[in-house]
Amino acid sequence: MKEKIERYMPKLMVLPTFIILLIISLVPLIYVLGISMTDSTISKPFTDFIWFENYKQAFKDEVLGTSLKNTLLFAFVVTAIETFLGFLLAYIMRFEKKLGQFFRTLVLLPLFTPPVAIAMIWRLIYDPNQGMLNYYLQKWGISTAPIAFLGQTELALPSIMLADIWQWTPFCFLLCMSALQALPKEPFEAAGVDGASGSYIFRRLTLPMVAPNVLVIFLFRFLISMKVFDLVYMLTFGGPGNSTQVASFYIYRVAFKQFQTGYGGALSILMLILVSVLAMVLTQGRELIMKRTE
Amino acid sequence: MKKLSIVITLLILVSLVLSACGPKATPEPEGPVSFEGQTLRFLTIQPHNVAAINLAAWFEQDTGAKVELIVVPYDNVVEKAVLDVSSGANQIDVIEYWYPGLGTMVENKVLDNLDQWYIDNAAMIKADDFYPEYFDVFTKIGDSRYGIPYDGDLHVLWYYKPLLEKYGFEPPKTWDEYLNICKTITEGEAGAAYGCAIMGAKSPLILIGSFMNRFGGYGGSFFDAEGKPVINSPENVKALEDMVEQAKYALPTPSATAFDEALGGWFTAKVAMVEFWTDLGSMTDDPASSKIVGQWGVVALPKSSGDKGRVVAPINAGFGIGVSAGSQNKALAYKFLEYVTRPEIAARYNSVIGGIDPVRKSTLNDPAFVTFIGQEVVDAIEAAHANAVAWPTSSIWFKLQEPLTDNLSLALTGDKTPQQALDDTQVAWEEILK
Repeated sequence: MKEKIERYMPKLMVLPTFIILLIISLVPLIYVLGISMTDSTISKPFTDFIWFENYKQAFKDEVLGTSLKNTLLFAFVVTAIETFLGFLLAYIMRFEKKLGQFFRTLVLLPLFTPPVAIAMIWRLIYDPNQGMLNYYLQKWGISTAPIAFLGQTELALPSIMLADIWQWTPFCFLLCMSALQALPKEPFEAAGVDGASGSYIFRRLTLPMVAPNVLVIFLFRFLISMKVFDLVYMLTFGGPGNSTQVASFYIYRVAFKQFQTGYGGALSILMLILVSVLAMVLTQGRELIMKRTE
Repeated sequence: MKKLSIVITLLILVSLVLSACGPKATPEPEGPVSFEGQTLRFLTIQPHNVAAINLAAWFEQDTGAKVELIVVPYDNVVEKAVLDVSSGANQIDVIEYWYPGLGTMVENKVLDNLDQWYIDNAAMIKADDFYPEYFDVFTKIGDSRYGIPYDGDLHVLWYYKPLLEKYGFEPPKTWDEYLNICKTITEGEAGAAYGCAIMGAKSPLILIGSFMNRFGGYGGSFFDAEGKPVINSPENVKALEDMVEQAKYALPTPSATAFDEALGGWFTAKVAMVEFWTDLGSMTDDPASSKIVGQWGVVALPKSSGDKGRVVAPINAGFGIGVSAGSQNKALAYKFLEYVTRPEIAARYNSVIGGIDPVRKSTLNDPAFVTFIGQEVVDAIEAAHANAVAWPTSSIWFKLQEPLTDNLSLALTGDKTPQQALDDTQVAWEEILK
């Protein structure tokens, strides 16, 4: 009996946490899955069970297609640039002590600023008539007329990307810095004694050793970027046209502007599947790279 | 003795039971209800924040009740109210709602039915005093009323006199004249100022409002007499084509110009003409925010040059006030509703800067209001009332306005031709209405 208790006790101790986690993660998911198969509106949940009609509609939805294309483009571009810049900054600052402390504080400021404030700052910067960016572009003769960064189809998404890069590069910098500082010193000292050049050490030691961590950072950032909402909401509201319409914003419009919660639920489930598949692909990619570097 | 006491006890018990089962006694007539120490939660929009702050202060002074303001962006108010009631949060007592959302709110059971309240308070309400252009459309769905008119929001054309005079122009009477003035000033000023500002940011209230200003003047409409969508009618297409053409010369750039950007251009003398609500004059004469105090004029919106041309004043924006079905303090909510409805209070909150435009005839004739807003604006408002055109208020409208907004925005950026944009909208509308 005592043996049995000892054997099952750890499982019993974990059980409450397991149940809580199950409730927190599974119940909302089941709720959304259920509602996605109905013709629900916000005040009439779970009315008219329609099986997969909402999903069929989603595959014919042109705006959803545009939203997904914008979301993927946004996520890949900003994540790549942020990870690259974050790593670059961290690599440059890795041995810096006094200046590094000051720089770290400075570079982290955007990360601690509320997203709404960041959007307001960039809205003011981009303003065609009173914005700082247009002022200097015209003063330095780069442009002769004001540029509507948020009002032109081809410029709106890159402008939001720039704001996002400003906001999130510090996050990548911080994690890359931790990864670099955690590297063992011995291989680098040995390489130094052997007379290896800086670029050789970087290519043959630093990069392979830090790559798995950087890929995890890339994965995290990518998954967060797929959910971009606040900057779009504050800067362009998905416009002009549908040029900055991203998936999360489109789902919000469907569910909370048109109050079609059933269809909104179906879009959320599709988005969840897409993000999960991408996360699996990226994780597999990371493991492949790790095997190669070993 | 013992038996007697048992009998008396039994009688008392029986009488108590019977009295409990019997009809309730008529309550004592209530004295004046005190709201001291109670808190009312009022959902309002950011552009009306100052008016709401004033209203809250006066209400607290007069009743002792505090008013907690829940301030949201102007295009989020209906969604906030629907979510509050649908989710069961019930954090709001009184709702200031955008009137095209009335059908949606009624469908979602967000507002109390006020039919009985209107009957009980007819003398105080003075329904005849409300402008008929607002009264039904802001409050009525089917045969029932769910709110009172609060902010009458017609569009008129504002112009900056020095810029028009510099180029020898009179305010335009047609959209062709408008385009000519806008183009001439923009080209003449070479970036220092612009002939016009067109609000074309991708928000239904903003973008559809600007479109409606034009198609109304061309004789266009959303639906025909039978209620079928005619959004791609020749009049509407022509109006959108002209809007796209005008946008080329407008304050950069219409696709990113909403309420704030248009005001920024206007207050800094960068814009010669702007279509805006009737409270712009009082805001412009506030030297704290404006560089063009006293240098403006106001006229009706232009009309088209053709036979079907007519002067219109679309009610873009416009707000009513209703009691939330989820209110936890109905007595206080109805007290507030009554307070806001009173004509003398309406005149008071219309006579301070706060973004509220009159919905009552008595307000427009109130000497304090006339002094505050100026006779020129009063005349413009009176003229506009005769040409007021309302947005649809049915519960389907919130679904219909989304594809229209998308397509108007695509036309404005040149991604679709006006014809294509409105054809696509027509298809989307027919699909929604199926």
